[in-house]
Amino acid sequence: MRLRMFLAVALLLGAGCAVVEPGEGAAEAPCNEWIPFDHPKLVELLRLIDVGDHFETPPLEIRKDDNYAGTPADVEPFSGTRPFNEFFLKQMEYTGPGRAEPEPESLESVKIGFIGPIMSTVSVATGGKSHEEALGIPMLQGARLALEQWNERGGYLKRKIPFELVVSNDNGLWGASGNEIIKQNYRDKVWAILGTIDGANSHIAIRVALKCEVVMMNTGDTDPTFIETNIPWVMRNIGDDRQQSYLLIDYAYRKLGYEKIGIIRASNRYGRFGVREIRDSARRLQKPVPVEMAYMVGQEDFELELSRLRDAGVDAIVHWGNAVEGALILNQMRAMGMRQPYLACDRCAHPDFVAIAGANAEGVVCGYPWNPESRNPNLARFRAAYRERFGQEPETYAAHAYDGMNMLIWAIQAAGLNRAKIRDVLAYLPEPWPGVTGDIQLSACLDDVGDVYLARFENGDWNYYSRADLDIPKGYIPPRDRVSRVAEETAQK
Amino acid sequence: MRRRLLGRLSGAVASLWVLAGAAEAPAGAGGAAEPCLRLPYVYTKWKHFTTENGLPNDHVFAVRSHENDLWVGTENGLALIDKRRGEVVKVWREKDGLPFQAVTGIDVDPQTGAVWLGLFGGGLARFSGGRFDHWHQLNSGLVNDVVYDVVVANDSVWCATTAGASRFDTKTGEWAIFTEKNAPMEEIWNYAVDYDPQANKIFLAVWGSGVLEYDLATGRWQEYIDPDGEMEIDLYRDDGINHVIVTGVTAIDGVMWVSSYFGGTRYDGRSWRGFPDIEGGLPSLFNNNVRGRTAYEAWYCSDKGAGAIVDLDPETWVQYTRDGKTGYAVVKQRLRPEDKTLATVEVIETGLNVPHTFVVNADIEGDDVFIGTSHGLGWGIGEGYYPRLKERPRMGRARAERAAPGGVSAPAPK
Repeated sequence: MRLRMFLAVALLLGAGCAVVEPGEGAAEAPCNEWIPFDHPKLVELLRLIDVGDHFETPPLEIRKDDNYAGTPADVEPFSGTRPFNEFFLKQMEYTGPGRAEPEPESLESVKIGFIGPIMSTVSVATGGKSHEEALGIPMLQGARLALEQWNERGGYLKRKIPFELVVSNDNGLWGASGNEIIKQNYRDKVWAILGTIDGANSHIAIRVALKCEVVMMNTGDTDPTFIETNIPWVMRNIGDDRQQSYLLIDYAYRKLGYEKIGIIRASNRYGRFGVREIRDSARRLQKPVPVEMAYMVGQEDFELELSRLRDAGVDAIVHWGNAVEGALILNQMRAMGMRQPYLACDRCAHPDFVAIAGANAEGVVCGYPWNPESRNPNLARFRAAYRERFGQEPETYAAHAYDGMNMLIWAIQAAGLNRAKIRDVLAYLPEPWPGVTGDIQLSACLDDVGDVYLARFENGDWNYYSRADLDIPKGYIPPRDRVSRVAEETAQK
Repeated sequence: MRRRLLGRLSGAVASLWVLAGAAEAPAGAGGAAEPCLRLPYVYTKWKHFTTENGLPNDHVFAVRSHENDLWVGTENGLALIDKRRGEVVKVWREKDGLPFQAVTGIDVDPQTGAVWLGLFGGGLARFSGGRFDHWHQLNSGLVNDVVYDVVVANDSVWCATTAGASRFDTKTGEWAIFTEKNAPMEEIWNYAVDYDPQANKIFLAVWGSGVLEYDLATGRWQEYIDPDGEMEIDLYRDDGINHVIVTGVTAIDGVMWVSSYFGGTRYDGRSWRGFPDIEGGLPSLFNNNVRGRTAYEAWYCSDKGAGAIVDLDPETWVQYTRDGKTGYAVVKQRLRPEDKTLATVEVIETGLNVPHTFVVNADIEGDDVFIGTSHGLGWGIGEGYYPRLKERPRMGRARAERAAPGGVSAPAPK
């Protein structure tokens, strides 16, 4: 352990980033690109998980969140009823034998898997044709940049061998991602995996990851159900559609006072699950969505769907789907004389949307999982490095993949080449991860519960606003789980 | 170590009392004779198999007992244990013709003796006459190569794959695929499959779609999903499957046993019964599978040991777990119908029982049970096995406790 620390210090100092050992004083400014390897909580965790045999489960504290996903009481499902049981509040445990596995002796590189939509193909699951390459390629680039930077710092510090990215295309056919993860696990023998974007493929991938016992870091799938599976090997570092929907709901209903919102969405898993919290929250706020229309990915004429929305007399329209369709819908809507405000998912806060929508984009508001205008110095460094490496500006998927890959590699550096310990280190982060997308705080079920934002297109550009920036009211979030809340409320009365 | 395990089991025990007549001393340790209680059979004799005595890999994914043969599918190879000899007699890896290294499902055709293998990323294989035949996505109607489970039903072989279910007619060679196109699968991520010969029905455990029952005679589907439709809560007890993400199912004697990462469920055709971990019977919420033995007994494969529910009147469980070098059987019982948690009525130091507490799969044949774990296989030998409960003196350290509602009752450490 001490040797590892020493190597880390030496090499990271060489890279211009100091790690301060306890008791040595802060001679140099501490690095804020990752959590220091000598963080006392990390050191203690590593001691605890250094088990003696395959049968010992370390006595790790089981964290319990007070509230699932920061859900306001008035949009909780069945809020008038005390549920028999509530899930996802207690930290998931890994009780298997993996921690006792020794590091393999002869390795030429430390392989990390990447799985994402990077090649165009036909896809039944995602609505007829693949459509996520525009997201997957930046995701790959962000992951690649992080890995290359760690290799510049010396690779896997303990053994002085490089990291290697094993790239698989997540081609959209249901089940393909499962085969790819099997291959990465058994043939390539990766130590952790980063991916995917499509919700269906993600679910398939995580079931395989669970069986193979390998960490799956998700940086691009905002499907709320992705994490609602109780798999201790799965984590996500991007604010999901549930979080974004809560903010959109608060903005539309609590701040702007809309009464009737219509939904138009892609007829795929992304659209179907993306709007679920919007639809359910609206109903629970006594303002049910009168019309929800679905369209096929790649569709170009939306007159039928829009006429139904127009006839319903909605105050505003929420769109959940890709940027191109989102812009086409907006244009057709305006051409039909529909002047309703247009709210959308984060995929529409994209240059493609603006290019197609033109002047119609003005005033569009999208949920957004992070603030790309943050003055975070890590973000500035990342932007510069990404521009230099790929000749383009990084976007959401690149930035989150960069953070995700940094988290994985940091965990490998700290835990060594042991999948279970890599999981432990990530599951028990000593403090929020200082990412380029902001502080990444994982919930007990290892989901990112950090702040999300609204992106508003104003005067030809996207501007990003926090809840506080726009003074958006929030529903009451009880500080207690639902099962025991009733007793507490009774006592208060 | 032992203290740690028991401490973990203890949870938030707020109050406890020793039942009248339930002494802390081992049974027969002097003093007045203990009264006989209605207690379950407890497996105290176990055999173990790991790589040290012949398994190709310690991570056991599948186990199937068929007469004298005990087939074991691991993460890297297939093994055959001769039950009479009590030893591994043959191992197959890829170099021996096994089409893929990870074997996640096994069933034996009772008519032909052919062994059918679900391969985790390798499709479907048949082992017969010393030869492996191989079906996969590119040479057959198998819907996906990631096969989690396989079962033989009459002349057909059913595969639960990560992208739907496939049925292979071994007589005609025809394939059928079941996905969202022709079955009530909101999601198509099949996890386990079982066949009930009495009812002539197939049962699919589907991650995201609950349990699907397929009547082979009529071709009709019946779906069983979480009635509240919400992921983060189980709204009411005993209202149906407790979560839509289902990991295992067994249908036997008109009863369906269901496992999930959110507890267990039983359905007898009229009433549902939920088994959450917070009541203290089921060892953990996280259950990889379930194997039913009768309408009253089922073995849950949890990440904290094997949990065998052995009766419902009163609800009685035996939890098999290990700590360091030894193992324990903890008998839990709901002493009064109105009790919210189960009490510990017996703790037996069995010696090593399940090889590891992370239990993956199980099978039952005759009086014996076979428990596949992430670190070896345990074979519980049921000498003198009896179903449900009968009056007998306690075998080991005996103590009864009761936890506060919401807590988990458990034995206190020595």
